[in-house]
Amino acid sequence: MAAITASVNAGGGLADHIHPEPQGFFRKYVFSIDHKIIGIQYMITAFLFMILGGMLAELIRVQLMKASGGIMTPDTYNEVYSVHGSTMVWLVIIPLLTGGFGNLIFPVQIGARDVAFPWLNMLSFWLFPPAGLMLYASFLMGAPTAGWTEYPPMSLQGAAGTSMWAAAIFLIGVSSTMTGINFLVTILKMRAPGMTFTRMPLFVWGQFVTAPLLMIATTALGAALAALFVQRQFGVAFFDPTRGGSPLLWQHMFWFYSHPAVYIMILPAFGIISEVLPTFSRKPIFGYKMIAFSSCAIAILGFMVWAHHMFTSGLAPALQLPFMVLTMLIAIPTGIKIFSWVATLWGGVIRMTTSMMFALGFLATFTLGGITGVFLAAVPFDLHVHGTYFIVAHLHYVLVGGSLMGVLAGLFYWYPKMTGRLMNEKLGHWAFWLFFIGFNGTFLPMHWLGIWGQPRRVAVYDPQFQGWNQVASWFSFVMTAALVLVLFNALWSIRRGKKSGPNPWNARTLEWQIPSPMPYYNFKHVPSVFAAPYDFAEPLPYKGLEEELKGGPPPVPAAH
Amino acid sequence: MAVATLAHEPDQLYVETRELRIQGFLLFMVSDLVLFSSFIFAYLYMRNSGQGWPAGGPKLDIALAALNSIVLFGSGATMHFALENWKHRNFSKFANWIVMTIILGAGFLSGQVMEYIHIGARWSDGIFGASFYTLTGMHGLHVFAGIIYLTVLLLQALQGKYTFTKYTGLTLGTLYWHFVDVIWVVLFSIFYLL
Repeated sequence: MAAITASVNAGGGLADHIHPEPQGFFRKYVFSIDHKIIGIQYMITAFLFMILGGMLAELIRVQLMKASGGIMTPDTYNEVYSVHGSTMVWLVIIPLLTGGFGNLIFPVQIGARDVAFPWLNMLSFWLFPPAGLMLYASFLMGAPTAGWTEYPPMSLQGAAGTSMWAAAIFLIGVSSTMTGINFLVTILKMRAPGMTFTRMPLFVWGQFVTAPLLMIATTALGAALAALFVQRQFGVAFFDPTRGGSPLLWQHMFWFYSHPAVYIMILPAFGIISEVLPTFSRKPIFGYKMIAFSSCAIAILGFMVWAHHMFTSGLAPALQLPFMVLTMLIAIPTGIKIFSWVATLWGGVIRMTTSMMFALGFLATFTLGGITGVFLAAVPFDLHVHGTYFIVAHLHYVLVGGSLMGVLAGLFYWYPKMTGRLMNEKLGHWAFWLFFIGFNGTFLPMHWLGIWGQPRRVAVYDPQFQGWNQVASWFSFVMTAALVLVLFNALWSIRRGKKSGPNPWNARTLEWQIPSPMPYYNFKHVPSVFAAPYDFAEPLPYKGLEEELKGGPPPVPAAH
Repeated sequence: MAVATLAHEPDQLYVETRELRIQGFLLFMVSDLVLFSSFIFAYLYMRNSGQGWPAGGPKLDIALAALNSIVLFGSGATMHFALENWKHRNFSKFANWIVMTIILGAGFLSGQVMEYIHIGARWSDGIFGASFYTLTGMHGLHVFAGIIYLTVLLLQALQGKYTFTKYTGLTLGTLYWHFVDVIWVVLFSIFYLL
């Protein structure tokens, strides 16, 4: 790594070159190659898909109000939860955390003027909306019905939309792979002088560990999707046991991707939390290196535990024990992070901004989701609750209580960097409490529903479960109201929000040392870094930024 | 590339951009390798599970495949000579070697087509057909894409897009071609030798 830093330190070169600012609406806002605009494009698109996915979620909850179902046929219900899951995983959480916040923030945090391959970045984004539309177009020809995991043989029997689903997710995968390569090269090669690995902000660490997961795991998923596609369209025998194939093969290929993908959906959120907590407790983050290295440990372990999704699929007993132990091991680096975050809060001067509240909410709910994860790692317990609402509860505690809370914390935190204005704090507090209560009211009862035996992915159920299902449904409306409030707040604040100035939170990382919204070239003078961020008692750890907040054009105008 | 520089030596920017592009390309090859590995894993997994595998092993023509492999490895050598000649500033030799590479690549592809006809098995014939045609087909597609890639590189070189000191595109093309060779070594081993 030393050689890489040295080449940047040598002066001149990449650290100093800037793009000419494009002219015209299309080049500026539609086919932009600026990482910040692309980040915002990702976020807007992902939030639009979140509205669609959220509407599907509410359809599910309305259906489950009555044990006898009511508004949908079982077939339609299958389509609705399958597309809901696919949307939330591939069109909302992953694009928000990597394409959205990743693009928007991390290049600035390492002192770069753009990502390594700006044109590739634009291409990555523009594969994403068409792929999402393809996924929704599958409703017209019979959407996938086997859940977001699409296990054969069910997915082989699905309508034509299942092939469309495979193609759409494949496109998203290509986009993710390119984003991963782009981010990895950017972090390895384009850090500002002095920005060593142990001085990088923790959000950059989150992206740095996620990028190889995006790059490697997503390609494996691509192989699985291609195999499913050719079996469906051309009768190739990958998953057909009568011709030597095996449905288990899909599960191996799929989970070899999709388990690491779980960490794609949480590691950047860990990064966001690691930025928000020290800023609003005015304390250096506790155990910087432990937080960074535990992310690496999680990423490496993440590739070794995929078969814990297959404990009930007929995995050899000799394999179950190692996969169980490896899975439980992940609790150690995750626990290290939780303890570091709590220790950061200890004795800090805590400011209860909305962003901080979401971060604290994250700590509470994600920890609960992590603990049920350890339960599920134990084979005997997994055999009992497999395919029940306990799984639904666990994954929503991790993905909504973890990733989405992280996204919301990041949205309130970095909103000024996008618009130059703050989001409304009072509305934000309301949104947080509605969200927190609605979320727990929706998903907490699912734990015991699952232990009692309510199966997931079924349109009608035993009437004895109806009471708690109604509770969950009513609270899910509260949660939706909270998200609508956040959306309203974000739209309202574009024009009416309080002007923020460059650094409303007195934060220490690089993106706060330049104007809000961030200018096209990011930095007039590429800073040189001489210490780690987060030490609130010391002067800023950067040199060469004195001119940033004064007026005037960048030092050298763009040529050709 | 639409990039303006600030005063410093322009070559520094070129050197660093070259490093970026090569590193990005290496990472692309890693992810491509994962794509192949997934299918190779699937093939070995299915083969060892034993069901539906043709009794006594499938009838593959090792002689034809070996000949074909020699053609492909030969093209790797000619591509190497092409780049070396570029580095030694010999344009005409470079052009000859790269044309040779393209011809050998096309030769490999026609050999593959002959083999497909020769085997008489279909894509949908059990797990052997599934793995064999998917993997060799994917490799064939890579060779095909490589032929187009090298042709474009040759045309660009003729148009003067590369100089004898700045030729990152040629380096990447060579890397790609060697990568396709290496994949073939693995595929040949698992299908014909194992």
